[in-house]
Amino acid sequence: MWTSGRIAHILLLCSPIFALSAERFDETLSINTLQDGKVSSKFTFTTLLKGASPRNPKTLDEEDESQLYTVFPLGLGQILREYAVTELHLSLNTGRWNYDRWGYPEETGVGTGAELWAWMGDGAIRTVDERWKGLRNALAGLFCTSLGSMDDLRTTSPEKTFVPEGSLPNWDAPHQIRHASLPSENVCTENLTPFLKLLPCKSLSGIATLLNPHKLFDADWHGMSVHVLWRGDEGVEVRLTFQSVSDPLRSAVTRKQDWSFESLFGRTIDRPCPVAETSEVSVTLPINAMYTIQPEPARVENNLAKFDVKEISEPLLVRMIWPRPFSYPQTYHSEATPFSVRRTLKGSSQAWGQLSLVIENHRPTSMRAMYLETMPWLLQFHLHTLQARIDGVLQDKIISNVQYMPSVPHSRPTTLQAILTLPPDTSVHITMDVTKAFLRYTEFQPDAQRGWDLPPAIITPLEDHDNYTIPSYSEKRMYTANLLVEQATPDFSMPYNVIIFTCSLIAFIFGSIFNILTRNFVLVKVD
Amino acid sequence: MDSSPQPPPTSPRDPSKLFHQKDSLRRSIVAVYWTVIVLSIPLWWTTTSIQRLSLPFNGVREQAYRTLELPISICLDTTDSTFRKEVADLLARKVAENSSRWAGTAPSVKSITECAGTNDFYTIKNHNSSPYIDGRQLYFPLEEPNASSQLVDALASLLVPYTTSADPDRRVAQYSSRYRLAFSLLNEDATTGDGVMRWKVQEGLRAHIKPILKRLHALHNFTIESQVQFHAPLAFSPRQIEEVYAISPEDLTVFINSAEWTLSSSSSNDPVLHLVLFIPSSTRRPLHILTKDESISPSNAFIRPQWGGIIIHTPTSLTSTNELPSKDLDIIFATFASQLLGLLGVPQLPSTVQRAPSDLKASFSDWQLDALLRRRTLENAAGSQDTLLSIVKLVNQLEGMPVHEDVRDDVENALSFLTKMYDTSHSSLRQTFEFSARSFNLASRAFSNPGLLALLYFPTEHKYAVYTPLFATSGLPLFFAALREVKRWKESRLAKHKKA
Repeated sequence: MWTSGRIAHILLLCSPIFALSAERFDETLSINTLQDGKVSSKFTFTTLLKGASPRNPKTLDEEDESQLYTVFPLGLGQILREYAVTELHLSLNTGRWNYDRWGYPEETGVGTGAELWAWMGDGAIRTVDERWKGLRNALAGLFCTSLGSMDDLRTTSPEKTFVPEGSLPNWDAPHQIRHASLPSENVCTENLTPFLKLLPCKSLSGIATLLNPHKLFDADWHGMSVHVLWRGDEGVEVRLTFQSVSDPLRSAVTRKQDWSFESLFGRTIDRPCPVAETSEVSVTLPINAMYTIQPEPARVENNLAKFDVKEISEPLLVRMIWPRPFSYPQTYHSEATPFSVRRTLKGSSQAWGQLSLVIENHRPTSMRAMYLETMPWLLQFHLHTLQARIDGVLQDKIISNVQYMPSVPHSRPTTLQAILTLPPDTSVHITMDVTKAFLRYTEFQPDAQRGWDLPPAIITPLEDHDNYTIPSYSEKRMYTANLLVEQATPDFSMPYNVIIFTCSLIAFIFGSIFNILTRNFVLVKVD
Repeated sequence: MDSSPQPPPTSPRDPSKLFHQKDSLRRSIVAVYWTVIVLSIPLWWTTTSIQRLSLPFNGVREQAYRTLELPISICLDTTDSTFRKEVADLLARKVAENSSRWAGTAPSVKSITECAGTNDFYTIKNHNSSPYIDGRQLYFPLEEPNASSQLVDALASLLVPYTTSADPDRRVAQYSSRYRLAFSLLNEDATTGDGVMRWKVQEGLRAHIKPILKRLHALHNFTIESQVQFHAPLAFSPRQIEEVYAISPEDLTVFINSAEWTLSSSSSNDPVLHLVLFIPSSTRRPLHILTKDESISPSNAFIRPQWGGIIIHTPTSLTSTNELPSKDLDIIFATFASQLLGLLGVPQLPSTVQRAPSDLKASFSDWQLDALLRRRTLENAAGSQDTLLSIVKLVNQLEGMPVHEDVRDDVENALSFLTKMYDTSHSSLRQTFEFSARSFNLASRAFSNPGLLALLYFPTEHKYAVYTPLFATSGLPLFFAALREVKRWKESRLAKHKKA
């Protein structure tokens, strides 16, 4: 019988033949001057595998189709198919993104450390959790990171905050999300090298030439990310991005924000990448300021100066020169970030602490936001103490729709999700009491004395006021800073001494008590 | 001085009359301690002991020292029994002369009537021109003078083609039930122009590789993947000799630049066979390989043993879309196919024997496939026996090594497949191979089971180092208290006797 599912299956089997004929690679670099004189640059490398679709987990026990790619990264493709991942987002960042000064980042995932989230179809012989484990280990190997330690202690499923960016195929079984963050992960050259190897032109031609680790890892903030998503009408898209915020004023003697490819990246674009369909450098031009941009851009659109790398005949070295010295603004404002968030952990004792969140709404209108905490079990929330105050006065209308999944000691983290209603132009203080858990001897990480990095909280503005709703609000996630919590740490340096000392003490106490219990008293006559 | 009268000295109470000094109470305290200790010994024993399931040591030893002999029935389609006798004698002498080459095989020469009931036999028929094969039949000029020794020579190179001189650098990859075939098109530098941007890999695979894989289906499964790279720099500079560029044999050993070429796959443990097409940059064309005597080698392809094959190709003319022309693609994939055959151990036919036109449908003949099957069966059987023997030896030697169900089951199953393999070795070659492969896979899996290493790093001495300070110091008072009570009990009994 020819059911529609069967036809779809046959179409699916044919898909690699179409996929082979059409792969597309585009690269862009956008450079932006920020309010505080820093320069943000973002590299985007997009590969589209036209007509391809993610692997249905039901076919995991069958022989997979051959993976024949031209510009699509094979190393990543293998992982995606092996674990039947529909959508994947990995970001590795260093530094804290300053929303107040820098505005909203072009690439959303800017939480410090590593963050990985993936949507995977259910209903296979290998469960979502098994594949999630395999996925993070495979990515750890691919990018030389410690993603393998994103174990059950850090994995949550916050499906409301992390909505899929692309579309999810309509298979019989539903899709599930897995999310984990590793705030203590450091990002360095060893992660960039495998990242560059996924690019068709590596860092040898095209825009990727500018990805020079010496300069990039010297920037004030830098982060790389990998995004895989399925666009139902187009195919599977892999987007590799690298963002950095560098400070031209750091070394400038003249206090001018002049920058050039040479000063930002230490390199020039010598030759175009031969397989890039489009290859473009776009520079946001400042409004109401004096500047010179060199060389003459190919075209200027919407205040963006664009350079076409495909057309260059000599090395491209874009530079921007400012005639006047830079003066820091008195106040910073950003349209894209409606509020600023500060999160701190108070209390130095092992037993008691307080998590405090201050959200300041800059807008003259009331706003709603989704607040998400994914906390490892070593910090336990007392949910009944969750309170919101404005100017010290308790408010009970601010926190609503609380969803709470308590932690399970030694395994599951807490997931706390709530909707916050923020009155106009006020700052809201949210507090909650917390307890720090006692860890087992083997649960401590290396460098235990440093403390534990706790993942950032995520605030997503819900722009549904005055009758209009933005459906894909996931675009606007805001990450708070990480927290560091100190645990009572045993002395790891001398476990034997400790064991032997304790044993001797126990033996001494036991011996004395036992002796008294069983001593035989007799009368001795002394004449 | 008036002094009040001294109170009469009260006699001290007899301590043995006090409640807590009662003999029975004291004895029961000591008894309770000892009962608790004795009762907790089993608990302590079970919680601290390692699970060590017994492995079939005797079975392994029995199977491990058996040698496999694969029978080869050769049926001479001739009525001349003296000729048959002659061939049999010559063959026996040949086997005795070179026993290492014929190891594991038991060739026997039979008449056509003797063969009728059996399967898997080779027939030799008379045919008055140059010899050729068709299926499992060999057509040979049997009536020529000296035919018998020529026939035995041909049989030797058809049945046991593997000699140490034919594969001096052990290029055949180790057996695995699954391989990944990675086809890579590497442009040294595509930006200098005239790079090969794409290739019709599907067509090449369909025409040249897929038939081989289909034929080898009984031995291996394959995963195919391909990629194109546009920057694949060499780790050395080729030498310029007049108009051409050349790679010396020393440079050839470092030709594969693993640091810059992203070739390795990351998502599975299956061994990978790489087939690489290298396009030199347009500034270094044409690129050739030098032989040891500094002359340009006619071939531009080479095999890196057990790793894969490489072809250096200078594109002649490119299409407007910078695609590899189909003429080149055809040659390249034909070379890939022969490299793949070499890597997988498919033997070559001796030059004296041709294949019949009807036999050419398959990519290689039944004789070659059978020879490969025999080779892999013997390898797997030996590998499985070695591995099993190593496991049981290791487990016997290391007291602290845990053996869980999965390891035991794997060992037992490997052993049972090994037994089955010996049982079927006289009936069906395919079945024998199948069992040998399964046995080998299970034995390897058992050997590399991570559970075997679990407690190796926490030796017994370690345990005692922790226990002694606690148990010695608290055990001594317990021991002496018990001793004292026993002594007192004996004394009191003796006293009672005397009284009585």
